Amino acid sequence: MLPRIVKASIKAILYFVFLYILPKFLLSQVSELAPELFALYGQYLNVFVGVVIFFVVASELTSGTIFQHAFNIGKAIILIIFFVLALNGGIVTFDLNLGEMGINIWADLRIYLAMLITIDLLGLAKSILQAINFLSEKAEQQLPTPKPTQ
Amino acid sequence: MRQAIQALGWATYIFWIILIFFTVTAVYSAFQLKLGFRQPEVSASDGTLRASFPFSIANGGLYDISNLNISTQVKDNLGSHISDSSTYVQLIPRGSNVSITHGMSINISQMTTENLSYLLFNDSDFDVSFALKLDYANAVPFRVSTNFTMPWGAPLSNLTIDSIAVSPYNTDFKATVSVSFENHSPFSLDGTMRLDLVNGTGGLLGSGTAIIPPHGGNIPLEIIVSDPVNIEEARLYFTTSVFSYGPVVISLV
Repeated sequence: MLPRIVKASIKAILYFVFLYILPKFLLSQVSELAPELFALYGQYLNVFVGVVIFFVVASELTSGTIFQHAFNIGKAIILIIFFVLALNGGIVTFDLNLGEMGINIWADLRIYLAMLITIDLLGLAKSILQAINFLSEKAEQQLPTPKPTQ
Repeated sequence: MRQAIQALGWATYIFWIILIFFTVTAVYSAFQLKLGFRQPEVSASDGTLRASFPFSIANGGLYDISNLNISTQVKDNLGSHISDSSTYVQLIPRGSNVSITHGMSINISQMTTENLSYLLFNDSDFDVSFALKLDYANAVPFRVSTNFTMPWGAPLSNLTIDSIAVSPYNTDFKATVSVSFENHSPFSLDGTMRLDLVNGTGGLLGSGTAIIPPHGGNIPLEIIVSDPVNIEEARLYFTTSVFSYGPVVISLV
């Protein structure tokens, strides 16, 4: 159990650095241009990192069991839903205020969203196959070993 | 089964790398776009107010910009349409610098229509809707829109009949009428104004014509009338190189 906790902690720290610290630093360099926009997507980044780290840690702590694959499947499904909600179905609009002038910005990110969903579906398919493979190996282990007839 | 799992795993990693590469390069390229604005030029001729907005786009990024469309729509503050204009650029390749001039025009002859004629006499603010659309990296449609106001100065602002004095003239009477107005528009008005004096039933009592001062001012007219007692209305007709309008009815009772 202790090695799993250590591995889970190391993975959590690495994911936190590469998915949170690094993007936050990069976003802070450009956030003066549109503070409202980056404040909103900063919140989405927090949720995304929280979801990913939770499932990575849970998957690592339950490695070697069926629950590991269940958590991976859950992570893929939740990330698909998250990306659809965060990108508003692919149509992103937001309003900026530059002095007295209000500016509306609209972007069609449906192709980008489709790429994200495709990657998550591949991950989902891989997790399902891993779960099936795990269950089939478990079942094979429980089958009696055939003995040669004399 | 294991080979399929491995293949899916590799496919996932490769797609993530492609997606992150595209995201990073797209954001980097967006910050390499440089917009340069030059002084707008405004001119008024042939009854049309023209505003030109020259600017340049330097696409220092890694992706092309295509189907760039700039459109502006001008409406009065009651929502009545005044003019539309658009500028289209098919392609701004990566590494190129393109100069574009977007033009807006407002034809003053449109102000003589029923729902816009008040603009000949009243200063106002026009609502201008501006929209810029483009396709970035041939994959991401993008649109920026905003609204702002543009002041409008009426060419016949404060049109009034300052005074009307009647004096005997031979066997009739002479009505000396003083008309004044202010030209707040960028146009010079060259033309004439005709003033009809009418009675209560619309019958013409006398008429006079005068040259309009190009930048506004006072227009004196002397009109011979036979029946000054029944003068009830003055009807003004403007004929200029920029527009023709009338009658403007001013009650004199």
